[in-house]
Amino acid sequence: MPSLLILLPLSFLIILNLPFRDILQRASFWVVAFFCLFQSIAVALHPFIFWSALPDPYGPFFSFRLSVDNLSLILLFSIGLVSFVSLVISRYTLLDNKQRFNFLNLLLIIVIGMNATVMVTDLFSLYVFLEVTSLSSFILISLKKDKLALEGAFKYIILSITATLAMLSAIALFLLISGDTSFVAIYGALGNPQHVFFSKLAIGLFICGLLVKSGIIPFHGWLPDAYSSSPNSVSVLLAGIVTKVSGVYVLMRMVVSVFGLNQALQDILMFLGCLSIVLGALAALGQTDFKRMLSYSSISQIGYIVLALGCGSSLAIAGAAFHILNHAIFKSLLFANATAVEEKTGNGSIEGLGGLAAKMPFTGITSLAAFLSTAGIPPFSGFWSKFIIVLALWQAGQYTYASIALLASVLTLAYFLILQRNVFFGKVASGLEGVREVRVGLIFPQVLLAVLTLGIGLFAPFFLSNFILAAGNILK
Amino acid sequence: MILTLPVIIPFVCAFFLLLVPKSRQIIAWIISLLAVLANLFVCLLIFRQDMSFCLPWAGFGMDFYFRVYQLSGFIILACACFTFLILFYSLAFARGKSYAKHFCAYTLFCLAFINGAVLADNLAMLLFFWEGLLIVLFGLIYIGNKEAFKTATKAFVIIGVSDLCMMAGIGLTVHLAGTWTISRISLPLNGLGILACALLVIGALAKAGCMPFHGWIPDAAKDAPLPSMALLPGALDKLLGIYLLFRICLDMFSLKAHSGLSIVLMAAGSLTIIFAVMMALIQKEYKRLLSYHVISQIGYMVLGIGTASPLGIIGGLFHMFNNAIYKSCLFLTAGSVEKQAGTTELSLLGGIGRNMPVTLACFLVAAFSISGVPPFNGFFSKELIYEAALERGWIFYLAAVLGSFFTAASFLKLGHAAFLGKRNEAYKDRDIKEAPWFMLLPMLALSLSCIFFGLRKDIALANFIYPAQEAAFPGILGMRVNILLTAVTVIVLAGAFLHHIFRVKVTASPLKAADDIHYAPLLSWVYARAEEGRFDLYRAGLWLIDKAAKVFLRVDRRIDWLYNILLPGFFNALSLRIRKAHSGYYVLYIAWSLIGGFLVLIFVLK
Repeated sequence: MPSLLILLPLSFLIILNLPFRDILQRASFWVVAFFCLFQSIAVALHPFIFWSALPDPYGPFFSFRLSVDNLSLILLFSIGLVSFVSLVISRYTLLDNKQRFNFLNLLLIIVIGMNATVMVTDLFSLYVFLEVTSLSSFILISLKKDKLALEGAFKYIILSITATLAMLSAIALFLLISGDTSFVAIYGALGNPQHVFFSKLAIGLFICGLLVKSGIIPFHGWLPDAYSSSPNSVSVLLAGIVTKVSGVYVLMRMVVSVFGLNQALQDILMFLGCLSIVLGALAALGQTDFKRMLSYSSISQIGYIVLALGCGSSLAIAGAAFHILNHAIFKSLLFANATAVEEKTGNGSIEGLGGLAAKMPFTGITSLAAFLSTAGIPPFSGFWSKFIIVLALWQAGQYTYASIALLASVLTLAYFLILQRNVFFGKVASGLEGVREVRVGLIFPQVLLAVLTLGIGLFAPFFLSNFILAAGNILK
Repeated sequence: MILTLPVIIPFVCAFFLLLVPKSRQIIAWIISLLAVLANLFVCLLIFRQDMSFCLPWAGFGMDFYFRVYQLSGFIILACACFTFLILFYSLAFARGKSYAKHFCAYTLFCLAFINGAVLADNLAMLLFFWEGLLIVLFGLIYIGNKEAFKTATKAFVIIGVSDLCMMAGIGLTVHLAGTWTISRISLPLNGLGILACALLVIGALAKAGCMPFHGWIPDAAKDAPLPSMALLPGALDKLLGIYLLFRICLDMFSLKAHSGLSIVLMAAGSLTIIFAVMMALIQKEYKRLLSYHVISQIGYMVLGIGTASPLGIIGGLFHMFNNAIYKSCLFLTAGSVEKQAGTTELSLLGGIGRNMPVTLACFLVAAFSISGVPPFNGFFSKELIYEAALERGWIFYLAAVLGSFFTAASFLKLGHAAFLGKRNEAYKDRDIKEAPWFMLLPMLALSLSCIFFGLRKDIALANFIYPAQEAAFPGILGMRVNILLTAVTVIVLAGAFLHHIFRVKVTASPLKAADDIHYAPLLSWVYARAEEGRFDLYRAGLWLIDKAAKVFLRVDRRIDWLYNILLPGFFNALSLRIRKAHSGYYVLYIAWSLIGGFLVLIFVLK
């Protein structure tokens, strides 16, 4: 059954582009929306309908094998959710019909790429689908074709290419060592003492490539520009899930299931994670552009995930997976808020605004929920994932990193307080008296995500015991 | 069940009173008088009985446990009588005053809490009622003049702090004894027991107004309504404080003669007598002068109980009873003077005895009583205390006798300046009439009982004091009069009288009769400091807190600077640097990535 998650969007994509597509254009939105919802709901209900355990009649269609475990499930759910939100936002922000249709097609492609990335079990297919994902994101970023968007896309391409080069050479080395590219074969070959140098080199190159894709400092140069210059619906998609899947998830999968954690890898990952947390937060502190601040905040939050990954205990992996899910929720929510503010004030700057909470109550309240969740304030879900990460670090004896991770929450609070004060709190700034709440279509994704973050936070024990903690089991 | 009535009746009526509109003062008076009378009746019913009443309450041994026995029965009966008389008095005194309704309500609350505290046989209950009284005290002072809020706060803080001590003492006692029930507690005075006992004694002494917890009384005399003063510091606080002191020292802990606590108590008593009466001597205002005597007389009772001898304890309890009678009588005469003459400044009064003969007569009886002139009641209780004090050490006796001398001297001055002599020129043409009968009747009742209990002290002792005492010292009865001590007392009193006559001759003014003491070398220096309030613990505490607050504010500002200026400044500068580094130039970004990649590779390969 997992192959459905690839075949369905693929078939939709083909149908949408058949000759009589003018008729289909109207239905296209609903088709894609249906698929995204189907993916999220089916994944969320998997313990009850066991779809992943059913025989996979289309499996032989592919030349590669798919497998789904608990970590993949969390990612698949997030992919469905964020794609849906991005889709809803695109309906109200991409006003040009042709542009919107392009966006829909690219969204389907990127979903195929991400779903496959999450499920494949051999390195070369992984690479192919990563490239599918990356290529469609380049085009998505430059969808508007203005100077900033092109510049952002260009930076992404340039840095991605270096990453691709590194990863491709690493794959070549792996093929050399093991004669096969499946995860199991590589895992077995890495233990061979004959190829210590090459295996280490290959691992190093591959990880460098993944670090670029995740946007970890100092490989992050493309990230703020790409996030902030792309259309809003694309920002949601990129920040919410694309970089998480193509960077962080693959890193987790490789490090945990294929390479195996060793001391050197742990040190590198924890150090870079911590660096990203602190520097990302510091860089976010003084930003004047809403989306740019959120981008740096993303770097900081990815740092948490990588830090937890570096810690390597089962609890830490579970915490990292949970943080990916939470980050998908609250960062999409924040970008949705940014979209709403930009829709009503005309530009993305947070200067000269103020008092919007009174004018836009839904946006104000949901942004507050997102911000509290990001900063790790109970009872929002962000608190639980950060708590689990810090707890795992502490249990592993990494007291310094645990303290830094805790203290960096203060920085998170600081830049989000600045944001809230500038945009939502206080008296209504001059020139904004006529501002109204955005239309229902844009309120809906905000409220949905806010309810999710609060709901997961309130019923955290249920989610933890049923979904999240199981993700730590991928550790061999 | 009847035991709960003395608490419930006043409490419920007080709540009703608060609902009565201000314009219907007469209803308030009727309700409160009825409540007080009903309370008096119940108290008479349960007087000299021994019964208890128990209901489960908060758990952990904190039960709703009331018990009446001889002493507590006597105390609540006395409280009921005084409250009735003073409420009756204030019918005329406070008529039409804005605080009348609140005074009635607070008086009833006060009565309810006092009855509860006296009847409670469970330390938790005792504490509950005791703290309730604190709030009522605040209210009773607060309804006075404009300055009253400050004074009420002062009283609240002083009593509140000492109540905290008592709370700690109760906790410790319960920990040591393993029970909350007072009548089952019997602890030796050693180790933690001393601490527990001392903490409890602080609570009791502060309630009674012993030094150094007296600071609020003279201020309240000026600011609180007069009936409040007559009621609480004048009568009920003494009864309650000394009752509790008695329970603590003799029931819960066994106070032994010559023990450390006994000496501390006697010393506190003696010092209170001397210092307070010296302060009273130089006062030039009727009520303020009385308020210092309130404090001074407490010294006698504490001294008496502190001797831990049967004689002293009987003397202390008897003095408590007598003092409540004559002291409230004195306050009531002050009220009459205030009402009729419009002032209580002694320099403005003079010769009003001719206009107010009944008030003068009551004043004289009460003043003779307080000075210890035979055969008024004060004489006998003081005589008992003298004898017990002499047994323990001549120094305590000396303090008591000196106190007597100054008491007599100050009342000679007060009476002479206020009621006799010539009127102040400025007030010469003021027409002063005798007080109304509503006010005279309670005064008369009180002064007559001064005479009655003086002449027939055996009635008071046999009915009130001995039965209460039997539990502690069985088999003590019979009372002798020590001729020698009586002679000393008489000589001292005569000395005071002669000194007054002499000084009035010299200075030609009764008000300046005590100036030789006031302006004696060294003493004048002490007096000046005392009048400034230098010896007031409350002021010292306020000063200390003020200074500490300033220091802490400095520290706080520094910490604040750290948080508000230094750290944000540091992080903002850092943030600026990082933002500057992101120039948007992609070659730079690639360089970062490549360098980072090399470093990672080197680290992995090492």
